[in-house]
Amino acid sequence: MKNWKRIVAALLLVVGIVLIVMSVVNMPKRNSETGTAIIEKLRVRSLLSAVGDGVVESYVDIAKKNATEEVKAAGGSLSDLRKAIKEAEEKVRSEFTGDTTDYTGKDMTGVYASLAEYDASLASYADEKALAEKKYYDAHLAEAEALAEQKREEAIAKGEDVPAEETVFVDMSGFTPTEKMLSLRATADEKYKLLGAELMKVEPQLTENALETLQKTVDSVLYQEQRDFASLYDAYASYAGTDVLDDQRQAFIIRYADDFITFGVGFIILAFAIYFYDAIVKALGVPRFIIGLFFILLCLSALVLDLNLSALLSNTVVRMGMNSVMVLAMVPGIQCGISLNLGLPIGLVAGLLGGLMAIEYEIPGIAGFLFALASGMIIAAIAGYLYAMLLNRLKGSEMSVTTYVGFSVVSLMSIAWLMLPFKSLKLRWPLGTGLRNTIGLDKSNFWRILDRFLAFKIGDFMVPTGLLLFMAFACLMVWLFSRSKTGVAMQAVGNNRRFAQATGINVNKMRTIGTVLSTVLGAVGILVYSQSYGFMQLYTAPRQMGFVAASAILIGGASTSRTKISHVIIGTFLFQGVLTLGMPVANELVPGSTISETMRILISNGIILYALTKSGGDTRG
Amino acid sequence: MKTEYILNMQGITKRYGENTVLENVNLSVRPGEIHALLGENGAGKSTLMNVLFGMPVIHNTGGFEGQVLLDGENANITSPHDAMKKGIGMVHQEFMLLPEFTISENIKLNREITNSNLVSRILNKNLETLDMPKMAKDARKALDDVGMGIDEYVQVAGLPIGYMQFIEIAREIDKTGVKLLVFDEPTAVLTESEADQLISVMKKIAASGISIIFITHRLDEVIAASDVVTILRDGKTVANLKTKDATVLTLAELMVGRQGEGMVSTEKRAIPKDAKVAMSVRNLYVDMPGEEVKGVDFDVYEGEIFGIGGLAGQGKIGIPNGIMGLYEASGEVKLFGEPLQIGDPKKALSAGISMVSEDRKGVGLMLDQSIKNNIVFNAMEIKGEYLRKILFFTQKNEAEIDKQAQDMIKELDIRCFGPQQAVGTLSGGNQQKVCIARALTMKPKFLFVSEPTRGIDIGAKRLVLETLLKLSREEGITIVMVSSELQELRSISDRIAIVSEGKIVDILPPDASSAAFGLAMSGIKPDEHTDEEAKA
Repeated sequence: MKNWKRIVAALLLVVGIVLIVMSVVNMPKRNSETGTAIIEKLRVRSLLSAVGDGVVESYVDIAKKNATEEVKAAGGSLSDLRKAIKEAEEKVRSEFTGDTTDYTGKDMTGVYASLAEYDASLASYADEKALAEKKYYDAHLAEAEALAEQKREEAIAKGEDVPAEETVFVDMSGFTPTEKMLSLRATADEKYKLLGAELMKVEPQLTENALETLQKTVDSVLYQEQRDFASLYDAYASYAGTDVLDDQRQAFIIRYADDFITFGVGFIILAFAIYFYDAIVKALGVPRFIIGLFFILLCLSALVLDLNLSALLSNTVVRMGMNSVMVLAMVPGIQCGISLNLGLPIGLVAGLLGGLMAIEYEIPGIAGFLFALASGMIIAAIAGYLYAMLLNRLKGSEMSVTTYVGFSVVSLMSIAWLMLPFKSLKLRWPLGTGLRNTIGLDKSNFWRILDRFLAFKIGDFMVPTGLLLFMAFACLMVWLFSRSKTGVAMQAVGNNRRFAQATGINVNKMRTIGTVLSTVLGAVGILVYSQSYGFMQLYTAPRQMGFVAASAILIGGASTSRTKISHVIIGTFLFQGVLTLGMPVANELVPGSTISETMRILISNGIILYALTKSGGDTRG
Repeated sequence: MKTEYILNMQGITKRYGENTVLENVNLSVRPGEIHALLGENGAGKSTLMNVLFGMPVIHNTGGFEGQVLLDGENANITSPHDAMKKGIGMVHQEFMLLPEFTISENIKLNREITNSNLVSRILNKNLETLDMPKMAKDARKALDDVGMGIDEYVQVAGLPIGYMQFIEIAREIDKTGVKLLVFDEPTAVLTESEADQLISVMKKIAASGISIIFITHRLDEVIAASDVVTILRDGKTVANLKTKDATVLTLAELMVGRQGEGMVSTEKRAIPKDAKVAMSVRNLYVDMPGEEVKGVDFDVYEGEIFGIGGLAGQGKIGIPNGIMGLYEASGEVKLFGEPLQIGDPKKALSAGISMVSEDRKGVGLMLDQSIKNNIVFNAMEIKGEYLRKILFFTQKNEAEIDKQAQDMIKELDIRCFGPQQAVGTLSGGNQQKVCIARALTMKPKFLFVSEPTRGIDIGAKRLVLETLLKLSREEGITIVMVSSELQELRSISDRIAIVSEGKIVDILPPDASSAAFGLAMSGIKPDEHTDEEAKA
């Protein structure tokens, strides 16, 4: 058994290293002569195939013209004309099906040279154009944003549903080409004429006319926004295939060198995972080992599928931050012995109420957020106290009681949302009574108030400093509490109720403290979540959140009677990481379907189910 | 081959790992004989019966050595069901009755009389209709046999406990082909008159030719009911004699045994005449399920080790649990002259009493938490020690906690990887030491130790006892030790109270005769046995 593991690990390691070495050798060739030659070949091939199609079109044109003239000369009717044109087109097309022109033996050097020149000048024109457009966009962005904001306000006032995603469109119709653009375009056109002349040498059927109509097609084939090796290779190969290359295998290896590195890294990680299986599983526990591996697999898949991994990881960090406090709310619950607080929605609706009040009273910015927190926490404390009284009377069946309390509260509040006397048009439907389903936050209240605080970017990786600081602060507070006298007593109650009783600890009081804390953290958690998400969701939205939080902490390694802060952080990161990475990867693998939504439900519920089967936690350390 | 014995168990030896629980035990029962099996808790009675019934616990732990002969033939009993088929029945101590069923349904459970019907003929024999009248008739006969006039259609739920015992018996004798019945402490829950009735029923059953093994620790019942007695002690057969040759006194002495080499020896001390009372208990009643205390009075003197012994279920464990407030209790308790309000663990702990609970895993420890957390927990919560204030936060003082934990680990020789190790991963003996460490961290003036050696190995036992002795002699802590193991009590206690049926029967010096202990344990008051002693 031990040997079997060693052999597999060694094989994987060797394969991984070979892949990486091979890729590292081939990767620099992209920018060397080999790479340039490959691209040039593909480019000419694409051009010719585009032109070849163009030639057919020009013959069709000629045939049509001739047919028209013949019919006119014969004095035929309009239907004869139509018929003759159709026949002529079909005849020409049937002649040109099959092989395109055979270029072998023809002198292509002229084409190569002039194509390179045209390509370069086209690129400099396109770059200039993009630059000018960007300038224009930036200059008019503020204006457009103001306009969008105004429209939003109007929509709210009129009571229309506010669009979910806020994207600002800048009207580009006022954009005029700059002097420099025009001169570059003229140069490019000159070069195109030269290219056309060269092309006519190898493709004698081409006419000036045909070339003029072809220019747009040629431009779109030649010019690629991404000008790195891989993008150009992919674009040109999709037009004309790679048959033209002398050494297709080498080109393939150079093109996919980066993916081979990813695969190599994957194999090496797998090799280590197998070799150190026992040690890793002992340190992390089986669930975290599996989900951790799955997470790494998703990261590697994202790289292979050329997804923007750093943006995805940034997204993961944001989602971890926004969910963390809700997951943290599970900690006092587990520690005080009510196990997983699936009645978390009590805290969530309390937090939502606080948020609604902050918007209703139009308290701006950070003050509004703090007000929402404070009022949400107060409501949560009161509700949590009543909830704790209920739980103290129903010891031993907390799991089902909390679940049903959570469901009931969500349903009860669904009625309440319709009845509460909020006046702000941002909150309520303009007709009739009741609050909106989703309430969009904006800059006038606490939209991304934490996410934006001291946020900075490293490449595509956005660091939501404020959010992470808040998460760290919340974790620190709970950690400090768990080390206080009351916290220790509370954990004793959760750990062994009879033990705590024997020490004269008031079990009900400790359970109440834990339940209230958990509920209050739930209120804070939903506000942190909402400010980052950009919306407050009322009605049935909070129903699932208790399960999500419970699963996250279980994945983190908690059991239903024992947990610590590290479980919260690890669990939230893995859970949200798998979710945020899983969807785009699934989307890429099965494109153009609604798989992402299906996957989201599958992944999140699958994780919940898996986590619940592991609710015994990992072995005692 | 016909023999005179219906059951002959020869040379039965059973080991659980290193631990020998039965050693070369012989038990022979003649047809129609009431054979009493007598022994203290842990003497091996239950294990012997488990062997007889082929319980999985025996097979799963490596089987046993020796032979079980039924009617002189080697009976390879593989499971309780197999034992039943071979004509061995058991009247359980805990009633195995379905409360929602009627008496006759319970008696005929799983042996129902059925009539075939249309559905059962097509599908399955399991779908046959019950023949209630026939079943009721059988049940009636069995009930009459045990002398119960109760209607067989009555539901079991709500019947007095004594009735349930008789229904159990009726069920066993209703089985056809029963040759041997085992009664496992059948009188434990019965009133005196019910017990008398039971004995007469047993005699009636025996007269019909069915042999009975009667497991009990009530000596007078043995004398009254049985024909032959086998006495087990520490897994060995110590005696096999005809009841008519025995007296309560001889049985008591045989059951308890002479004082052997104690595991820990200490010079005996006499309680000084002017010793102050550390704790006086008057009229203590404790409502602890299975260990009820029904009015005990005793005084514990300062600095002594006061033992409380007795058989399981008699209430000795209820005494410390009641005083510490773990179960509802009433009565007057004075600690060092100050009245102590009982029923509140916090008050008892604050007053300077600590307790090492008999239920280590249930009450004594937080199994998921570290050794150090367990050790300092009480001192932290009750006395506010090992804490420090950082700004507004009261925080655990890890440095002090670590130091205390290290000291205790060293002092009590707790075998572990370090103070961080979770208590649940320790062995029983080391867990017990953690419990003691926690009690000592409270710096108690008075210590209750309840069953300190339960479930731990011999080496750990000795260490625990030595520790207790040291605490008493060197630190002057007054200790009340409750234990089922008389040997232990006799080796370190200064005085030993024996509890039976919720009351203290006698308080004896450790060097009192084994017979005195044996009699006290079976609830026979000193004034009753003095006559017999005089006779003997």
